[in-house]
Amino acid sequence: MSAPGIPFPSLATVALPEVPAAGSGDWPARIVESARAAAGRLPVPTPRDEDWRFTDVAQLAKQSYLVEAVPSDLPSAEVLRPLLLDEADGARLVFIDGRFAPALSDTGALAAGVRLVALSDVLSWGLGGSTADGDAGTAAEVRAHLARHVGFEADFFSALNTARLGDGAVLVADRDVQVAGAVHLLFLSTGRPAPLAIQPRVLVVAGAGSELTVVEEYAALGESMVFTNAVAECVVGPNASLHHVRLQRENRASFHVGRCAVSIARDGRYRSVSVNIGARLSRLDLNVTLNGQGAQAHLDGLALLDARQHSDSHTLLDHATPDGSSRQLHKCVCDGGSHAVFNGRILVRPDAQRTDSAQQSRGLLLSPKAQVNAKPQLEIFADDVKAAHGATVGQLDGDELFYLASRGLPAAQARKLLTYAFAAEVIERIPVRSLVARLAAQVMARSGL
Amino acid sequence: MSAVLQQLVSQPYKHGFVTDIESETAPRGLSEDVIRMISAKKGEPDWLLQFRLEAYRHWLTMTEPTWQNVSHPPIDYQDIIYYSAPKPKKKLASMDEVDPELLKTFEKLGVPMHERASLAGVAVDVIFDSVSVATTYKAKLAEVGIIFCSISEAVHDHPELVRKYMGSVVPTSDNFYAALNSAVFTDGSFVFIPKGVKCPMDLSTYFRINTQDSGQFERTLIVAEEGASVSYLEGCTAPKFDTNQLHAAVVELVALDDADIKYSTVQNWYAGDENGVGGIYNFVTKRGLCQGRNSKISWTQVETGSAITWKYPSCVLLGDGSSGEFYSVALTNHMQQADTGTKMIHVGKNTRSKIVSKGISAGRSSNSYRGLVKIGASADGARNYSQCDSMLIGDRCSANTFPYLTVQNPASIVEHEATTSKIGEEQLFYFAQRGVDAEQAISMIINGFCRDVFIHLPMEFAVEATKLLGLKLEGSVG
Repeated sequence: MSAPGIPFPSLATVALPEVPAAGSGDWPARIVESARAAAGRLPVPTPRDEDWRFTDVAQLAKQSYLVEAVPSDLPSAEVLRPLLLDEADGARLVFIDGRFAPALSDTGALAAGVRLVALSDVLSWGLGGSTADGDAGTAAEVRAHLARHVGFEADFFSALNTARLGDGAVLVADRDVQVAGAVHLLFLSTGRPAPLAIQPRVLVVAGAGSELTVVEEYAALGESMVFTNAVAECVVGPNASLHHVRLQRENRASFHVGRCAVSIARDGRYRSVSVNIGARLSRLDLNVTLNGQGAQAHLDGLALLDARQHSDSHTLLDHATPDGSSRQLHKCVCDGGSHAVFNGRILVRPDAQRTDSAQQSRGLLLSPKAQVNAKPQLEIFADDVKAAHGATVGQLDGDELFYLASRGLPAAQARKLLTYAFAAEVIERIPVRSLVARLAAQVMARSGL
Repeated sequence: MSAVLQQLVSQPYKHGFVTDIESETAPRGLSEDVIRMISAKKGEPDWLLQFRLEAYRHWLTMTEPTWQNVSHPPIDYQDIIYYSAPKPKKKLASMDEVDPELLKTFEKLGVPMHERASLAGVAVDVIFDSVSVATTYKAKLAEVGIIFCSISEAVHDHPELVRKYMGSVVPTSDNFYAALNSAVFTDGSFVFIPKGVKCPMDLSTYFRINTQDSGQFERTLIVAEEGASVSYLEGCTAPKFDTNQLHAAVVELVALDDADIKYSTVQNWYAGDENGVGGIYNFVTKRGLCQGRNSKISWTQVETGSAITWKYPSCVLLGDGSSGEFYSVALTNHMQQADTGTKMIHVGKNTRSKIVSKGISAGRSSNSYRGLVKIGASADGARNYSQCDSMLIGDRCSANTFPYLTVQNPASIVEHEATTSKIGEEQLFYFAQRGVDAEQAISMIINGFCRDVFIHLPMEFAVEATKLLGLKLEGSVG
């Protein structure tokens, strides 16, 4: 029988001797300590907070959670195989209930100059002192960037994750390394025992001039409730290019809160595709800062919801330097009694002259009980700026349906086809072919095609 | 910025002067006693006193909102004079008997009342320090059954109408400032257009804030019965003062079946000096209720004044087939702040709304568009189109857009677009090589930018607004 859970508000503050977070040196311990203090200080957000106006985490916050997974049988090769990506063969880390699973991971085919290690290993090297066991370069990058970008001082969920810093993935690409395939970070939950709270952590550092594609995926193996509170930090070096695919396919009983903080240096390029399909309630905050002149960001998002699902996507494009450009396309498809929220904020700071920014948000409502809340938000403090956003919410286009009907397609079939096409525009922007095919099949199945 | 332009930017407020008229003034602060005094002074019936007291008691339980994108020092509500009125003089038979000083004030503002009234065919209900002192064209309007008078008069002469509609669109408990207004409102305008009547002329009210430290709390109520239509103009200027003045008005519009109300505003109150000292706080609740089938309410506003403009003229589209429109130009310069926009609440089937907002920021000002488009579950076939464009002049101002879209009906379409642009060197260069100087060029560019809104203003207002923007922005680009 499992031990009694910890009430949600104390998840960060209750002392847990078995958590290996602190390591030896003073550095991670200090961060964990201040995150713990922040999590204790910050109130759990409620719909009274503007940022959480349409997303009520009361259901999530009233639960008690277990924090340490009971080591369970690892999933068999047959279970795992359909979840793997051809492009990431020999370049994957797998985590079960938040803990690194070396037996399922494979880093055998990594390109030279790419380091992919578990955070728990890095922490065990003792970053404060010697790094005799580990790799000094990776340790230095972790030290330089971990918890430096996500701003846990002002955000409850980031603080909670950082306070429970324990395991996750660290991916570092050296200067000018170009990786042809993708790196797959697969976070699987078994949900045993339930309810379990998991705090995954990801750090990606793309060195100057490097090119890298990473797939960050969250999926459930069981049906029991899991609370996943994931934090990712991506550092895009000067003239580097990072493709980031974030895929959330939790089960319908689960809660998923994700944070992703991205910093782009001079002439760096960051492209991300976030797909939210699963979870009872999911929330993603994607904060991208264009920190160097000429940085580019391209964000695409898709939420595909039905039944009672709720998905909230908050993005921030922070143009802090001149000559940056950003493009964004966010789509949501709501069926059943689902509810999609999109808040896309574009901030152009006083010095960010000649910024060029465009954002598109499109919502498709398929049912009378579904709801979309969209808030495309522009905040502009520089005058030589091109900034535009567009938002639409509506139904399938009557002309398009008529066209398909005139070609002999039954109405129901035509609706499914158009719904699929609507979602496919985002899915097809994923640069990993096998993943595109898999997601397309999934969307088709869901549309009944 | 060149010296000439600099000089033009810092032009002093041209309408800053104080008229010295003896005021009968309530003691500073707010209490039930003050409300009873206001009510007694105005000889109000008991139900209206109860309305005020209920609002006041609710107001005491409310806290000031903080979500808006504006900042100001805290307002001391106990340091405001809630009632001041020109001393009653003998009844006026004609314009000649109006206080000559009052008339002079309007002369200085360039509003020659009688001339304007007769030449332009505009009936002007003059509100001077919260009490109406003259109303023209009343008889002519009465012929067709239109009631156009001050709220106080309406309370006496048509209590059943006022009682029926006042608070029906903006309830006393609606928000902090609406509750305050409901408790202490001193006067305002009342318009009633009976069934089937098209108002033969544009109705116009000029508001004027006078007497230092007297917050103004007007209340406007316009009711258009079945098939009626009216165009109402509201224009504002205020004398120059250093103390911030709070202005918390409430405007309620009610349109029954097939009725049509058009409400236009040009607002040019004192905006404070270039360091943000002084200026009016303009916190207004404006809302229209399209209660009847196929009714229509249209808001047009040109906001150029006030230290802080904070208002969202809204439409509740209740009747099937009703439509709401919002056309806005908001210009901020120096330290001005504006957080303005609209709310379109779609409840009825086949309701339509259109939003066109143009924000221009210059100096160190902050200009925000904030809007809500809500399509309720019952609003089958609802349609919304919104367009919000911002223009920045200079690199120390800000332009923000906060549109909220909430859609709960799959048989509806909502579209929102926003762009940001600036007056570029290239544009000015192009004009220069065609022999047009920078001042004129800016004026032309701005007028082109705002054209979509100006075409919805009544003619006289369109001329005034065009001049106003030119004046306000002269020298902002260099």
